[in-house]
Amino acid sequence: MPFNRRAFLGTSVAVAALATVLPRVAMAQATPEAGGVLRVAIDQAVSVIHPLLTRVNPEYMTAELLYSGLTRLGRDMQAEPDLATEWQANDDLTVWTFKLRPGVTFHDGAACTAADVVATFQAILNPDFASPARNNVGPIDTIEAVDDTTVRFTLKTAYADFPVALSYNNARIIQASVVEGSFESLRTSANGTGPFKLVSYEPDRLVVVEKNPDFYDPARPYLDRVELHVFPDLGAQVSSLLAGDIDMIATLGPNDFMRLDGQDGIDVLRSASGQFCNVNFGTDIAPFNDARVRRALALTIDRDAMVDFMTEGLGTKGNDTPLNGSYPFFKQIPQREQNIAEAKKLLAEAGLADGFEAELIASDRPAIRTQLAVALREMAKEAGITINVTTMPHATYLDQVWKKGAFYVGFYNMQPTPDGIMKLLFTSDAAWNETRWNNTAFDALIAQARSTIDPAKRTELYTEAQTLMNDEVPAIIPAFFDVLGAKRAWMQGYDIHPRASVFRLDFAWLDAAAPTKG
Amino acid sequence: MSASYILKRIALIFYTLFIVSILVFGITQILPADAAVMMLGENATDEALEALRQQMGLNDPIWAQYLHWATGVVQGDFGTSLRTGQPVGPALFSALGTSLTLAVLALAVMLVLAIPMGILAAVRRGRAADLVVGFVSYIGVSLPEFVTATLAVVVVADIWGLLPPAGYVPLAEDFWGGLQRLILPVSVASIMMIAHVSRMVRSELVDVMHTDYIRAARLKGLTPRRVLIRHGLRNALLPTITIVALDVGYLLGGIIVVEEIFSIPGIGRALMSAIQSRDLPVIQAGVMIMAATYSIVNFAADLMYAWLDKRIQYD
Repeated sequence: MPFNRRAFLGTSVAVAALATVLPRVAMAQATPEAGGVLRVAIDQAVSVIHPLLTRVNPEYMTAELLYSGLTRLGRDMQAEPDLATEWQANDDLTVWTFKLRPGVTFHDGAACTAADVVATFQAILNPDFASPARNNVGPIDTIEAVDDTTVRFTLKTAYADFPVALSYNNARIIQASVVEGSFESLRTSANGTGPFKLVSYEPDRLVVVEKNPDFYDPARPYLDRVELHVFPDLGAQVSSLLAGDIDMIATLGPNDFMRLDGQDGIDVLRSASGQFCNVNFGTDIAPFNDARVRRALALTIDRDAMVDFMTEGLGTKGNDTPLNGSYPFFKQIPQREQNIAEAKKLLAEAGLADGFEAELIASDRPAIRTQLAVALREMAKEAGITINVTTMPHATYLDQVWKKGAFYVGFYNMQPTPDGIMKLLFTSDAAWNETRWNNTAFDALIAQARSTIDPAKRTELYTEAQTLMNDEVPAIIPAFFDVLGAKRAWMQGYDIHPRASVFRLDFAWLDAAAPTKG
Repeated sequence: MSASYILKRIALIFYTLFIVSILVFGITQILPADAAVMMLGENATDEALEALRQQMGLNDPIWAQYLHWATGVVQGDFGTSLRTGQPVGPALFSALGTSLTLAVLALAVMLVLAIPMGILAAVRRGRAADLVVGFVSYIGVSLPEFVTATLAVVVVADIWGLLPPAGYVPLAEDFWGGLQRLILPVSVASIMMIAHVSRMVRSELVDVMHTDYIRAARLKGLTPRRVLIRHGLRNALLPTITIVALDVGYLLGGIIVVEEIFSIPGIGRALMSAIQSRDLPVIQAGVMIMAATYSIVNFAADLMYAWLDKRIQYD
């Protein structure tokens, strides 16, 4: 069957429609029960609750409870309806029209209309507000309100992933009057259209939200309240979950995961993901300006050992590209394995037959960066490469090394689309062009893929891009981490999301065994 | 003790704080981090960063920045947190309140336990009670809090299931729930101080009990109890006060570990996360508040000295 635009759009709306139906299908197995207080353990303070400015997962979780976007990201990495119920593009994917859900109100009772959506996106695109969404919502040129429930985006270039991009964590709809007036007021208060309303907020201790009775879906949320408890000590999270003091741990490390696995009344949660730690090369700085040197270093790595060492086996092998099976449009290219002889040969060709010495910088957060650096140091020895590992505080790293250094360890979350991760890190116009690889053939492939609808064709383009990257190695990506979490068995309707920054707690509910169900 | 002495001491406290303010301001200026980047995040454009630097006065000479900051502090305005965008003062004072709750309880527990333990060990010197007290205080001195805290959580909360393992609830919000959650952290914070203080009381008391005036008191026919409490303990407690004052300093700084492990949002943890995120205004204010608290406690200890021992005259 030939693939065409209409069929593509038809499918995406059908998938979207199906997604809204799915929870109700699931009800047939276990009917969600309303009520109860969900107590969630988070590992970092909620420093920012301004939905356009949040930066870390616990903050994304808070914003997701309080606000809605136009679309939201399903566990299958597809866009689902949120405030927008359906969408359409023109033939060359440059003009997108979104139909808004009628009758939605903000927590203060005011109607949420196309004007609010337009104002929100203008704020996102305004560099003065410095919203991280600015680089992530796609090449928006203009946005206009067609009528009260219709908005139209005109893009600078074709962009097939636009509905998915709009689900970005920071692209949450706020009131037009707030954008024009007191933008900063959302740092301490909240007024969204989300499933929950803000009750109280102490950055380093506790965020409390309560059910929004006027949420657009009358069935959800099921919970009366959600409390986000800040636990800086990971051991205390685990103890509290075991004691039944909390119901869910948002993010867990491999060691704690294994400790909880198999305990009575606890479900551990695990999902393969595109989250990775990498070794970035400044590809304009010697000796890393020679692709043979970069490839030689990549060939020294025993990737199975790396997965075991870095993730305790809770991960998958990387192939020096940021894509893996968790992404759509992915096809496996030949896996690079350890080959010391080949590495030595490449070094000799590059005029470094005697090896070389380099300083590898790893920040101290998370600790896995240092683990990667030390493992690489040991593996690279065999090929005559001497690596000196330097660790430093994360803030110092951000200030002095990140985006500037020649040789350092990075750590990245999975993005919703292949385009997202490439545009974040590896194209010449990437938001964080750390490697300065600036490969025009690669840029052309990514640009072509983003204006292509046919999934088979897109897969082909991304595969070609992968091959190019695997060959040139702007960064070594030795392993991907599974995202891990845990919950009490009495909490239902929740599973961990591969993207790690999406939670969907409006679908969660507590059964009769939960202590806060009363 | 004269009024002029007290005034002099108070002036000295302000002088100390002035020196501390210069030090902490200087050190935070050297820290490798750009306050504007910390505030706006990695996605900010250069123009936005420059505008913010201008607005925050980061481009001014350092002395001008110091003057601006110090003027604010004197008026009780500690600036705005780079991390949360909220005023530093209220957040830190509420954290200080939490830490003080923990510290006062830990001090009370320590005094109630450590002084009788020390007396017992001194009176029964060389006998079983002395050995037990000695052993307990050895453990207290040699085990760091991250060990005792973790042990307490694993044994009392995980294995026995007696108390909640972590978390903090203000006593005003839920008195019993809050108190339950304070038992473990207070115990852990007091263990090391109990060890310090009970050993101090014991050794001082042992020394004092061998002095001539104690012998004289005994020969006068006073009851052993009166000799011990009125004459022995009163003199033995003097150096102990110094130790307690020092321990208050330890409590304010050292309970960082306790606060981390038990997830208590006190001033130690506030400072810790501020240092990690290079939140300069919070670091500056936190250090100032801690220095002030420490100076005041030491001043109080000196006053107590004079009150307990009339021979000590300050002028």
